[in-house]
Formats: sequence, structure tokens, C-alpha cells
Amino acid sequence: MSDVLNSLFWILIFPGFVFTAVVGLIASWVVRKTSAAVQWRVGPPFFQPFFDIAKLMGKETLVPEDAQKTIFAMAPVVGLAGITLLSTMLWRGAIWQTDFVGDIIVAIYLMVLPSLALILGSSASASPHASIGTSREMKLVIGYELPLVMAFVVVVIKTGGQLGLAAIGKSAPVLSVSGMLAFLVSLFCIQAKLGFVPFDVAEAETEIGGGVLMEYSGTLLALWKIMQVMMLAALPLFLVAVFMGGFGGSGLSLVWGVCKYVLILVLIILIKNTNPRVRIDQAMKFFWVYCGLTSALAVILAVAGNSYGIGWL
Amino acid sequence: MSWKIKALKKSPWVFHVNTGACNNCDIEIVDLLTPRFDVERFGIKLVGSPRHADALLVTGVVTAQAVKRLEEVYKQTPKPCVVFAIGACACQTGIMYGGYHVAGPVDKIIRQIDPGAIIAYVPGCPPKPEAIISGVVKVLSAL
Amino acid sequence: MKVHKIMEQTELTEQLEKIRGKLIAIEQPRPNRLYLSCESENSREIVKFLFEDVGARFCVATAIDADHCFEVLYHFSYDRTGCVISVKAFIRDRNKPSIESVSHFLPAAEWIEREIHDTFGIEFRNHPDMRRLILADDWPQGVYPMRKEGTK
Repeated sequence: MSDVLNSLFWILIFPGFVFTAVVGLIASWVVRKTSAAVQWRVGPPFFQPFFDIAKLMGKETLVPEDAQKTIFAMAPVVGLAGITLLSTMLWRGAIWQTDFVGDIIVAIYLMVLPSLALILGSSASASPHASIGTSREMKLVIGYELPLVMAFVVVVIKTGGQLGLAAIGKSAPVLSVSGMLAFLVSLFCIQAKLGFVPFDVAEAETEIGGGVLMEYSGTLLALWKIMQVMMLAALPLFLVAVFMGGFGGSGLSLVWGVCKYVLILVLIILIKNTNPRVRIDQAMKFFWVYCGLTSALAVILAVAGNSYGIGWL
Repeated sequence: MSWKIKALKKSPWVFHVNTGACNNCDIEIVDLLTPRFDVERFGIKLVGSPRHADALLVTGVVTAQAVKRLEEVYKQTPKPCVVFAIGACACQTGIMYGGYHVAGPVDKIIRQIDPGAIIAYVPGCPPKPEAIISGVVKVLSAL
Repeated sequence: MKVHKIMEQTELTEQLEKIRGKLIAIEQPRPNRLYLSCESENSREIVKFLFEDVGARFCVATAIDADHCFEVLYHFSYDRTGCVISVKAFIRDRNKPSIESVSHFLPAAEWIEREIHDTFGIEFRNHPDMRRLILADDWPQGVYPMRKEGTK
């Protein structure tokens, strides 16, 4: 019984839903404030993301007449469930060093759930703008999933076939050529998964209204926003755990882990503020040709390095 | 004051509606949302869909063709929401008074479907971005 | 420079001599402004001559309600000298105003003629697509706001 209560606590409060949501909201404030500083402006106050969510909860929820109401309402819940499980697993694996064989596969699977939920929710919206957003999001997912998985294959090869997160976290694959290539590829794929510029074609505000989230309002929109900030907390953490040697148990290595997370956040902000939005066909070409070939090259280098015993490859 | 209004004051998301304006007021609104005036300090963000919006920035005298469209957009904005009539034409038809295609100023059209709507007026032709910011902030603190 | 311009201006005047017979009058209030007045029956030929033979660029078309007749004006720009040429076509019949459409060889005039039809009620014969353009969908048929009697 206490096992079930323990698990519920881990999933819902700490380090699961509530903790990741709070960390994600703070991280999204950091992104907005840094973007403001880059543009020589003041930017929002610290509690702005919290006010945004609170305000959305207080608005009425309008559902279009022609929409598939069940899927329309369940889609953000499915996305939230996926990202909650992923973040619980990541935090527990990173800090408490508990894992199980096959960790990374489950993580890759759970990472797709939020994007799938977005596609489902927007296609249930019965709106032409939302359907354009749906098709763009589908094309984007087809584009970046393959290079992302190949980048994680590089990590698995470099750590000698380990699939558990804590075991992978003992080494830092980024300090080798193939690992660095794989890290760069996965950084761009994470940028697309988070829906940040230059890959925010699905939710292109000035082009297609709200895109995928056009018909959502009120509480359902608040759930989508919470899911997006939780992705901002969980996905860079996943990159840290897999590529950069993870978090430590406590003390100095924990602080060092937080610094690594902030580094990835800074990289994401940098890419976000220096690029315009790309078209969907440019994005697909980028992912399939440049990222795909780079991660294929990284896989070959990793295999070569492993079989000839060259560590830095 | 309920927590809903409190949260609304801290994070008003705006949606821009043009009901037949000469585009001068629209240019001023676009200027408003550039980094120079930095409205993100107030939590103001431009959204692409009226369903995400808390404040409608309506420009233009409402032409006969735009009446139905403005009513639809207002109905699709989840309440509570504020309607800002930007510019002399939106406040009381301004220079277009008596025109053959003019259906009336913004408040006449909105009150037909919602007599209890909150409408704010920012006069000017066009109003400067500073005037629009001042109008928005005054309305939000008076809520 | 100025010699070049004067040469091209005289060239323009020579070319206009070719259609002198169709015009009622040529007025030139300023060196770079020409008004060619004609009856509505000849407007299509004159516009075609200006567009194809002289090579002037079509700018816009306008209309006014002079009390005893309607006038439809086509404005062209002769870019080599900067001269603006306006063809003024008088429509004498106020009850059923009608003029030949020029949009077959001048596609840019299609929408402008739709707008003139909406606001003045002038019929453009052989127009490919005469639909309502600028008035509201529920505006009553037969009420032409820019006529002198307006919306009464």
C-alpha cells in the first residue's frame, strides 16, 4: 500500500507533475527574460508564467460545435500524462540513480507522446487553420524523429550497449567526436520538439492564427501550456542525463548538473533568438539531409571507435 | 475582486481586429508590439486566435460587411474580456460619420449582442503607442 | 535631357493625331497633363490605342456623376515623359448608363470596373465577371451610393 502511495507521490508531486511544472515555469521565465535582454528590453516579471496559467484557468472554455469533443478534451491530458511519466523517470534516474534496463527506449517512446497528443487534439478541432497546423506538425515529427533516435543510438554504442539511464550517466559521450555530432543533432531536434523558433511552424502565430492550438481556450489551453513548459524542463534534462554525464547524487555534482542544464537552456535561447522561422519544407530538408547524414556519420564513427578501441572517436 | 480578474490584470493577451480602418491605427498597434515599447513587461502578448485573447484591439469604423464578423469574433473570445476601441473612427465613427457603408461605432455593435460588455476608448487619429499603452494600463487598474 | 523629353512629347502629339477623329477635344492645361474627351461609344478604341500603340501604362479608372451625364475616366501614364493622359468618356443616357468594358485586353481594369458598377450602377458590356466587389453582401440591389441621389 505504501508502495502505491510512494509512487503516486513521486509521479504527482515530487519529482513528477508539480515539481516539473514549477521548474518548467521558472525555466520559461528565464527564456523570456533572456530574450528580452538580448533585445534591450525589460521583459516580464518573475511570476508572469504563473499568472498566465492562472488567468487561463479562469477563462471560460469554448468548444467548437463540429469538434470531436472527447478527443478534443482528452488530447492535452494524454500529452500531460506522457510528459509527467517521462519527467518522473528522468528525475528519479538522474538524482536517485534508480533505473531499469530499457530506460532509454521508454524515454524515447514517452517523448513522442506530447507531439502525438498535439496532432490528435488539433485534428479534432474542425478548423482549417488547425488542420494546416496538424499537417505541419506531422511533417515536423516525421522529420526529426529519425535523426534523434540515431543520435541516441550513438550514445548506446559509446557506452557499450547500456540501456539504463543511470548506467549511461556514468560516462559523458559528448566528449568525443561522434558524441559531439550526436549532441548537436539532438539539440536541433529538441528545439523542434519544444516548438521554438526556428522550428515553430506548427504554431505559427502570424501565419495561420494559432495553428495547432487555434480552437483551444480556457482550462484546456492552460493544460497545453503546462505540458509545453514541462517539456522545457524535461527534455534538456534528458540531454544532460544521456550526453553530458547526468546529475550526481548530491552536493557538488548536483550543482554541476544544474549548471549543465542551464548551459543547454542557454544554447536553446541562443538558437531561438538568432534565427527566423523556417518553412516546413526547409525544416524537413534540414532534418532529413543535414541532421540525418550527420547522425549517420556519428553512428559510423562510434562503431569504428568502439571496434578499433579509439576512445576519442 | 475575484482571482480571475486579478490574474486577468496581470496577463492580458491581445488580439487585433480591423473592421474597415484606413490602416493608420493598425500600423500604430503593430508598432506597439515591437521591442521598443516593450509591452511584455505588462504581460501583454499578441495571440493569433481570438480564443486565446483577453483584450480585443478593434480599429476602424465598423462597415456594413464587418458587422457579422465583429460579432463572431466577440462571441469567440472567452469571457471575461475587454474590448478596446482604438482610434477616433472606432470610438465614435470620427471622419466617417454618415457614410453610406458605416454601421456604427464599435460600442453600438458590441452592445447589441452583449449589453454588459466592458468597452474602453482610446481616441486619436491615430493614437500614439504611448497613448494606447496608457489606455490599456488605466483600464486594467480600474477593473 | 530636356531636348529628349520635348522630342518624345512631340512624338506623343503626332501619335494622338491618328485618333483625332474619334475625340471630341484634347485639352492640355499643363505641359504634362492631357485630357482626351470622347463619347462612350469610342472609349474602347481610344483606350486600346493608348495601351497598345502608344505604350502608355494604365494607372486607374474613375467615374463621376455630372448632373446631366455620367463620366468614366481612364488614367494612363506615358512614362517616357511623365505625362498623365486621362480619357474622359461621356455617358449621356442617365437611365441605363452603359459603356464597353476594356478588361479583355486590359485585365487590370476588371476589378475597377466592378467597383464603378457597384457604386454608380454603370453597366460594362462584355465584362467577364461582373460580381459585387466592395458593397456588403446584404446591401440592397439597385441602390447606387455614389450617384447624386445617393442612398435615398
